[in-house]
Amino acid sequence: MRLERSKEWWLARARQEGDAAVGAGLLAANPAVEQHGLEAQPAPAEETRIAFGRFVNLMRRRRGYSVEQLAEAACLEASELLVIEEDRHYVPQLRTVFELARTFEVPQQRLLQLAGLAVANDDGLRKEAVRFAARSESMQRLTSEESSALEAFVAVLSEQGPKRAR
Amino acid sequence: MVDVSTIYLVDGATGSEVRAELRDSIEDAQLVDWQLKWRPAHDALIRELIQKGVSRQQWPQSSHWDWRRKAAQVQGLLAFRGFCVLADGETQGMAQVELTKSARAPVQAGKPIVYIEYLEAAPWNSPELGRAPRYRGVGTALLSAAIALSVEEGFKGRIGLHSLPQAEDFYRRRGMVDLGPDPDPGHQHLRYFEMTAEQARAFLTEE
Repeated sequence: MRLERSKEWWLARARQEGDAAVGAGLLAANPAVEQHGLEAQPAPAEETRIAFGRFVNLMRRRRGYSVEQLAEAACLEASELLVIEEDRHYVPQLRTVFELARTFEVPQQRLLQLAGLAVANDDGLRKEAVRFAARSESMQRLTSEESSALEAFVAVLSEQGPKRAR
Repeated sequence: MVDVSTIYLVDGATGSEVRAELRDSIEDAQLVDWQLKWRPAHDALIRELIQKGVSRQQWPQSSHWDWRRKAAQVQGLLAFRGFCVLADGETQGMAQVELTKSARAPVQAGKPIVYIEYLEAAPWNSPELGRAPRYRGVGTALLSAAIALSVEEGFKGRIGLHSLPQAEDFYRRRGMVDLGPDPDPGHQHLRYFEMTAEQARAFLTEE
């Protein structure tokens, strides 16, 4: 099917369109990051949320993954990973945390607490999370300080997890 | 056989004219662009919104599904009749149409229409964040194509579509009849719009 119209015809209509959004049909809606349970969840302590984003960021970079590559490896959406790393107010989905725990080989329950999806009723994790967040900077490359902060935190997650999670 | 029409868009930054192609098919190249360009551009937009501290309520409206499901549906577009707009070697917009639906507006109820199942402009042509689209006119070009197809099919230019909430004004301004939120839950309350034969004639008139 051809549609022959003058240049002026097209330009006049393009100018009329201006800055309008034009999407039609459900398929045109983009899945943004879901706000799954944002209201329903009790707000997790700010510091553990910072630590969760930082943790994901550092673990990803330690493996030399881009956000896309981590998304691929963990069967997750890159857009959600971006939000996790950069928005400390974001509460991730349950499945996301499970996939990250699996990918990074850390206990699910502890990561859930860190992400604010399970109540961390031990002060130890919160303290460690604060320490970790304070020691690590979100920079291009993993510095040796970040590396050791990360190592130490992974150790804390792994050692304390099974015992205290119950 | 893909028919190619020459169309013109407007450069969002300079206001100058841009020669583009309207093609009456969606092909592999579009799906590749969608995967490798549209999605990363959307992710970049989300990243920018976060960095600017834009509250989530003001983010682009979105649907319940995840990207995997959307990707699967986009892959499926190859099987349907569709259109795309190409400029700068890139897919600037896509639409998929269906020819088996009937009109709902009282003046033409029951008559065949071209139903626009899907119409989307590339993220860089979308006005989110208040920045100028790279190209203006992509949506209008796709809409024009659907109307022209309707004429060619003997449907006299009648078309129908479900508008995304942020696009309702665009379709109202094009003179389409707003038939309100669709009662069918499958459409997630999107408003249904229809263009009558008369409106289509006015739309396609060469001034």
